[in-house]
Amino acid sequence: MDYSALYPEIILALFAIAIPAVGMMLKDSKFLAAVSLAGVGLAMLAVFMYFYEGLGAVVFDNGLLVLDDFSGLFMMVFLAVAFVVILASGKFIEGEKHASEYYSLILLATVGMMLVAASTDLFVLYIGIEITSISSYALVAFRKKDIKGTEAATKYFIFGGISSAFTLFGISLVYGITGTTSFEGIGAAVGSLVEFKEMIWLALVMVIVGFGFKVAVVPFHAWAPDVYEGAPSTITAMLAAGSKKMGLVAMFKFFLIAMLAIKADWEMVIAIMAILTMTVGNLAALNQTSIKRMLAYSSIAQAGYILIAIAVGTEFALTGGIFHILTHAFMKGGAFIIVATLAVVAIGERISDYKGLAKRSNFMAFSMTILLFSLAGIPPLAGFASKVVLFSSPIQGGVAGAEWLIWLSVAAIINSAISLYYYARVVKYMYVDELDEDVPVAKLKLPKSMMAAVAICVIAVIGIGLYPEYFIQLCQDAARALLA
Amino acid sequence: MNIPLEYILVLSSSLFIVGAAGVILKKNAIMVLMSIELMLNAANVNMVAFSSYYGDARGQVFALFSIGIAAAEVAVGLAILLNLNKLKKTVNVDDINLLRW
Repeated sequence: MDYSALYPEIILALFAIAIPAVGMMLKDSKFLAAVSLAGVGLAMLAVFMYFYEGLGAVVFDNGLLVLDDFSGLFMMVFLAVAFVVILASGKFIEGEKHASEYYSLILLATVGMMLVAASTDLFVLYIGIEITSISSYALVAFRKKDIKGTEAATKYFIFGGISSAFTLFGISLVYGITGTTSFEGIGAAVGSLVEFKEMIWLALVMVIVGFGFKVAVVPFHAWAPDVYEGAPSTITAMLAAGSKKMGLVAMFKFFLIAMLAIKADWEMVIAIMAILTMTVGNLAALNQTSIKRMLAYSSIAQAGYILIAIAVGTEFALTGGIFHILTHAFMKGGAFIIVATLAVVAIGERISDYKGLAKRSNFMAFSMTILLFSLAGIPPLAGFASKVVLFSSPIQGGVAGAEWLIWLSVAAIINSAISLYYYARVVKYMYVDELDEDVPVAKLKLPKSMMAAVAICVIAVIGIGLYPEYFIQLCQDAARALLA
Repeated sequence: MNIPLEYILVLSSSLFIVGAAGVILKKNAIMVLMSIELMLNAANVNMVAFSSYYGDARGQVFALFSIGIAAAEVAVGLAILLNLNKLKKTVNVDDINLLRW
């Protein structure tokens, strides 16, 4: 059997197994972080080699998994997120017990995400989602003495369980209706259904509910702010930048390959959910006092933007969706890591704790500003480039008989304008407002590794913003590979 | 002897509905966990039924996989609930209210 499509996952899984063994001898968090970084780096190298050699699509075992432009790009995104998160964690969890399990679980969660990106079969997709979910339940509960973390983990686990139950039931119905589980096979079968024509509706509802919980789409979003607030900040970065994107990738695969033939039946539902999600997310973010909650609601809103790509469903829209996932991973991951970095030097998680931050750490205030402005979509940053592609897709779309899709663009642009208010508020706190009187003005001593992680995100955001053509090309290749 | 497919589908949908009702109505987190398991098992029943209907082994193999995944999920879930019980002295879902806006 040819395993070359699986090399990145195999490398990462081997490191995930090896790290607890290494941890038996050396419990130092920074050392374990370095070992995990080596694993992530090797896996990245494997994906890079694939792109470099230009092999085309490599299929594993008659089409359970495939390594092509689409899955390769997403593997890179997930690995980059894991890299940044692990780099920041070395210092963040220093001195805590079970550091080796922590890194092992992060790597396993990443393996699950990569399997989802590579899957061409509903069953493999489900297994990938579950590997990620189960690892992240444990990661959210990592601080055993922290009551907020445990509560967040309980909520995450219960909602995640409901999500997987709905997804699995939906998958079983799809299997029953079409008699096959590969996306392409389902895609060919649903177009010409005779026997169970109405049943496919039930299956669609089940899968939408299941994925909706996973991606935190309104009205299934209630758990997300609680979990993002309670989890350790580095893990929040991974949830927002990694596992939420995994859910969106799963939705891309399910709706745009398997269910494309009956698009007319579900595009309205997804479009309404997209508008609801971005509106509710942005409005709820307006009056948050905790920065993690604010960023969590902003994540919900961003997922709403990305749903536009599914509702429109053209290659151009999918390019925009993939591009926005790519940029959002860096923007949101970086923002949460800044929160984690500041928590290490005992700056709280309320937005008002960020008053006068520019005087205490210029670098952190500057990075946060760049990332937040990028999230709002201000040129010349990455968020602007991806939003341009994504929001113009319903207009440019060329979907005959679906002119109402333009309203998606209108809603998204209004929402972007609203979101600028709460992003700019944080910037105002950091630069304009004075420090509280009881806080010393001394410069903060920040850990270098975490600053490096933040710097990677900021450089990525500025770089993608200045040279978007190259990345748009990558995303277009990926979209083409998925829709082909 | 063949059991008609409809009978099994009625069984699995009722299992799923009972599970969903349990998730909504039960206050004890352990009971919620059990209800989620019911929903997962409903899907497994479906999978096996369709598998034998089509004469295709894939559904049954996947049902085995999904049982394994559910077991792993329960293990992690029970550990989290144990820890919750240790910290808060309760597993009542109504008392989990530290995090809200």
